[in-house]
Order: sequence, then C-alpha cells, then structure tokens
Amino acid sequence: MNPREAGRGPESAAPAPGFLSVFSLFFGISALTIGGGYVMVPVIQRAVEKKGWLPEAEFYDLFAAAQSVPGPMALNAATFVGGKVAGIKGFIAGATGILLPPFIAILLVSSLIGAAGEHPLLRGFLDGAFAVVPGLVAALGLNMVRKRAWKKRRALLTLLGSIALILAGPWAVPVFFIIIALSRLAEGRGA
Amino acid sequence: MTALILTFLKIGAAAYGGGWTIVGVIKASVVDKGWLSPEAFADLIAIAQVTPGPVALNTATLVGFRLYGFWGALLATLAVVTVPLTVSYIITILAHGHIRSGGKLTEALKTGTIGLIAMTVWSFAPQAALSWATLALSVAAFLASAFTRINPLWIILGSGTLGAVARVLF
Repeated sequence: MNPREAGRGPESAAPAPGFLSVFSLFFGISALTIGGGYVMVPVIQRAVEKKGWLPEAEFYDLFAAAQSVPGPMALNAATFVGGKVAGIKGFIAGATGILLPPFIAILLVSSLIGAAGEHPLLRGFLDGAFAVVPGLVAALGLNMVRKRAWKKRRALLTLLGSIALILAGPWAVPVFFIIIALSRLAEGRGA
Repeated sequence: MTALILTFLKIGAAAYGGGWTIVGVIKASVVDKGWLSPEAFADLIAIAQVTPGPVALNTATLVGFRLYGFWGALLATLAVVTVPLTVSYIITILAHGHIRSGGKLTEALKTGTIGLIAMTVWSFAPQAALSWATLALSVAAFLASAFTRINPLWIILGSGTLGAVARVLF
C-alpha cells in the first residue's frame, strides 16, 4: 500500500455521494425531527457518521464553522455537510432537503387548523404549547450564560446589549449589528 | 408583499445562534407593525414548535402564509434563508471551509446572541404571565429544560396536552 493511500480519510475512501442520496438523507431528518436545531443537529451527526461520510470530530469542526453563519442551525449544518461531501450539488441537496418538508407540513397544518377553527381542544393545546415558550427560551439563555468564559468587559457589554435590544423593538436588527461591532472592538483590545 | 420580503431578508441576516433567538425579532417586526395581533402570533409560535423543521424557518413560512397565502409563505421562506445560504455558500464552496472558528468574532456574536435571547424572553413573558396556570407552566418548563436533560419536545407536547384537557374540563 503506498503512503498516499494509507493517509486517506474515511470520506475519500468511499465515492462522493450523489445529489439524491444527500437530498434524501436531509429530507428524511427534516421531515421526522420535531423540535428545531438542538434536536436535529445530533441526529444529523449520527446519520452522516453511520453513512461513512464524515467522522464525528470532523463533523463538529464543520459545525463550529457553521455557527459563524446566521440562520437556522439545522440548515447550516446540512449545507456545510452537503458541500463538504459532494461539493455544490451536495450544498443544494442539503438546503432543499432541509427546507422542503417543513414547508409542505406547514401548508398542510395551516389548512387543517383553518378548517378546525376554534375547537376548544385545539385552542387549549395551542395555549398550552405557547405557555412554555418564555421558560424554554430563558433556559436556552441560561445555558449560554453558564457555558461562557466571563470577563468584566464582556459581562458589561452583554448586559447593556440585552437592555438595548429589549428597548429596540423593530430596530433590533441594526442594533444587533452595532452591538456585534462594538463588542468585536472591545474583544480586540484585549478585554 | 415587498415589505414582508425585506423584513425577512433582514431577519435572516441577524439569525445567529439558532432559531429561538430570532423569534423575538420576528415578533417585534410583525406585531409592532400591526401585521398580526399578539394572540395570532402566539398561535403561530405554538404551531411552529410542533411542526417538523427549524422553528425560525417555520415561523417565517407561517407568517407569510397567514398574510399572503401560498406565495407569501414561499417568498418569506426564501427571504429568511437568502443571507444564511449566501454566506454558507461562500464559506463552504469558495473558501473550502477554511474559516477560523472561535476567536474574537465568535465572542462578539455570543454577546449579541445572548441579547437577542433576552429580547425574546422579555417580549413573550407578559403573555405567558397572563394567568397563574400559564406562569406555572412556563416556570416548570424553565426548570425542566435548564436542570434536566428532558427533550424540549416532550415539554411542549405535555404542556399542550395539559392545556387541551384544562380547556375541556373547566
């Protein structure tokens, strides 16, 4: 065996997967996983490892890079993995695979709910499912706060940034980018 | 319709840290402009949670559908993913994934993302605190999600079921 062959990673050992196999993998995951990115990303990781497309460590390197991109995590994970294993056609397959199932599901669910109208069971279910939203999002925030390495300047900027965003209302997006720019400057000065 | 597309284009550009962070921004854009009432938006969020797919994406599709039917749904969905897909394309295909992760920009993004989460919690808290029952559900969901490893889906479905039973009994 020559040294070049011995050094090959698992993803180059198998032929690059085609459009349909990348598309159908992500279509299936997107259609069957409810609960957003935090549930979907580990499912994607296990699936691509099982297929022999990407080993776990490489997936998480890719995922770290995917988090520097805005947008739903599951979508970014799919386009990064698709692009890595099959180039541009994999990128497109990953994006369409993730996007189509919820789009179809929402059109169906909206029409059904429109037909059910104000049935008390449905009304109660929606109220109950909505009631937990602030609690779940607050828990997400707490986990981010717990995991972060805190320094005085970082903490102050995070606090001020949160207050600014709460007050910003429809101006939230520009205010968000001003906060990012300011804290990037503050980090750069050795905070 | 143009306003809808521009709004979701802008929202997609700021959607760092996954879907939930951005739901507060969507609410500020859609409810403050008077496109939807807070109650109608609450229903959309409840539906987005129990439909497969990323929550931010589902919310965009639902808002578009609610306002302009099929074409609204299609255009809002495409608008919200335009910036993310463009940036991903540049990084994965053109830069072959050679972008340094971690470092100063990541820390700056975390600062902004925690701010977006604070905004989301703040904007939904008054609606969840409308009655003692919804307040208790929200606090219980917070404790379960922050201090146990229960899948959030079970919390959402459980609370929805409790809501349905309560509505029929009382």
